[in-house]
Amino acid sequence: MVSHIGKVVIEYLGWLRGVLSLFLNVLYWLFFGSFKGKAAQRKGIFQQMVFVGLRSVVLVFFVDFFTGIVLAMQTAYQLEKMGAVIYVASLVAISLCRELSPVLTGLVVAGRAGSAIAAELGSMKVTEQVEALDTMSISPTRYLCVSRFLALLVMMPCLVILGNISGIFGGFLVGTGSLNINPDLYMQTTFKHLALKDIYIGLLKAGVFGVIIALISCYEGLNTKGGAEGVGRATTRSVVASFISIILADCIITAIFYFSKT
Amino acid sequence: MSQPQAKEPIISLRNVSKTFQGKKVIDNLSLDIFPGETFIIMGCSGSGKSTTLRLMNGTIEPDEGKVLIKNKDIYNISEEELNEIKKRFGMLFQYSALLDSLTVEENIALPLQEHAKLAEEIVNIIIKMKLSLVGLRGYEKYYPSQISGGMRKRVGLARAIALDPDIVFYDEPTSGLDPVVGGVIDKLIKDLSSKLLITSVVVTHDMQSVFAIADRIAMVHKGQIIEIGTPDQIRNSKNPFIQQFINGRPEGPIDFFKEDIGVIGDFGL
Repeated sequence: MVSHIGKVVIEYLGWLRGVLSLFLNVLYWLFFGSFKGKAAQRKGIFQQMVFVGLRSVVLVFFVDFFTGIVLAMQTAYQLEKMGAVIYVASLVAISLCRELSPVLTGLVVAGRAGSAIAAELGSMKVTEQVEALDTMSISPTRYLCVSRFLALLVMMPCLVILGNISGIFGGFLVGTGSLNINPDLYMQTTFKHLALKDIYIGLLKAGVFGVIIALISCYEGLNTKGGAEGVGRATTRSVVASFISIILADCIITAIFYFSKT
Repeated sequence: MSQPQAKEPIISLRNVSKTFQGKKVIDNLSLDIFPGETFIIMGCSGSGKSTTLRLMNGTIEPDEGKVLIKNKDIYNISEEELNEIKKRFGMLFQYSALLDSLTVEENIALPLQEHAKLAEEIVNIIIKMKLSLVGLRGYEKYYPSQISGGMRKRVGLARAIALDPDIVFYDEPTSGLDPVVGGVIDKLIKDLSSKLLITSVVVTHDMQSVFAIADRIAMVHKGQIIEIGTPDQIRNSKNPFIQQFINGRPEGPIDFFKEDIGVIGDFGL
């Protein structure tokens, strides 16, 4: 039993080390690569941005839109008892911007783009394409990971802003349509209580989640072993690990801001 | 090949060993490959011949021993130096390993764009030259998934020689191809060696291609070299391993399937 736990811990630490060394490697190529004339290809970055960002727009819009609706209805149910229905507006806005929109967007992007990245790099690995890059002395990290890393780092905050807007819009529809709050008053209350800091925190989380998704899915993809089964395993692992890491990172970042406030 | 031993070897393995998950795949193996020759490494599946190739091209580090390329110990130099040496390599993979997301011409252009600072027009000319060398002019805009396996192999070959390498490694170049395309690939390998003076290291178990292109042949079994010699020497070898291998006989000292054959015997088949 003890030996089993020890083995799991050692395996986990090895995994963590692998992901962190990939992170350092990506940073190295990102900052020093350009000086060596080996910057990531612009075309590849834009391709990835379209894939992880633009193609996720509809998904993110609907996820956050419905979350905004649900959130408004749930909080209205409680706030009605206290006659404070108007605060639905600020509650929806703040909890979306600070918490729900980044986390949900992170999970959606991890499921959609992260799994695709892991599967793509995984099949490249098992069909020797990664080794081919290596024998051509083209660093797979630079050629494959840097563009994906940048794309996720840039597009995640963009998607979160979209998610914020669509979520607030969903809450607005419930507030004005069903709770009979004056539309002007709803928007005023939203922005009265929503500080810029709330949005910044959300965007910071989005950036961190983007980095997490990129690193984990690239790492799992590049470390795929075995054939089709291995690719499947890598995809699953990348999604599971991204989900857990996103929630964990969210917890840590929220805690930091919560305790540093006082 | 006249007196190859008189020259300085371009690749040499010195007492190299490699263990994977407790299994010794390469066992104290030494060999020399000389400039300009076509050197064949043959052996059964799992004998360690592909691993030998990967030890030479810088992807697998040996546990013991040295791999020298142009007298440089490639696992004992900085990564930058290794990359410089790798740029003088080309490699043809068993399943071609073309990048799926790039077209034929982009695949061939990749090493050129990465390592040679050339104007786009020149890159295009080189692509055309390499494609006509492998007989695939007109396929520039196709994706690897749109062309046949034999064509992919030839594109892979064009990519391998894009930077005019000194050494080209071939991992089972004719496996999975029909005999005619296999013959075409064999001819290409031979032409490259004779016309461009490229050193070729070929891993294969296709006996037809072995005797068609080899200058020298090494037979690998269980991670060790059983014999090295010219095609004639190998063909006339007294070694029972080699005779079993080149004639493809199920019975003999190579005993991978002994148990299976025993079972068949029990059933009276």
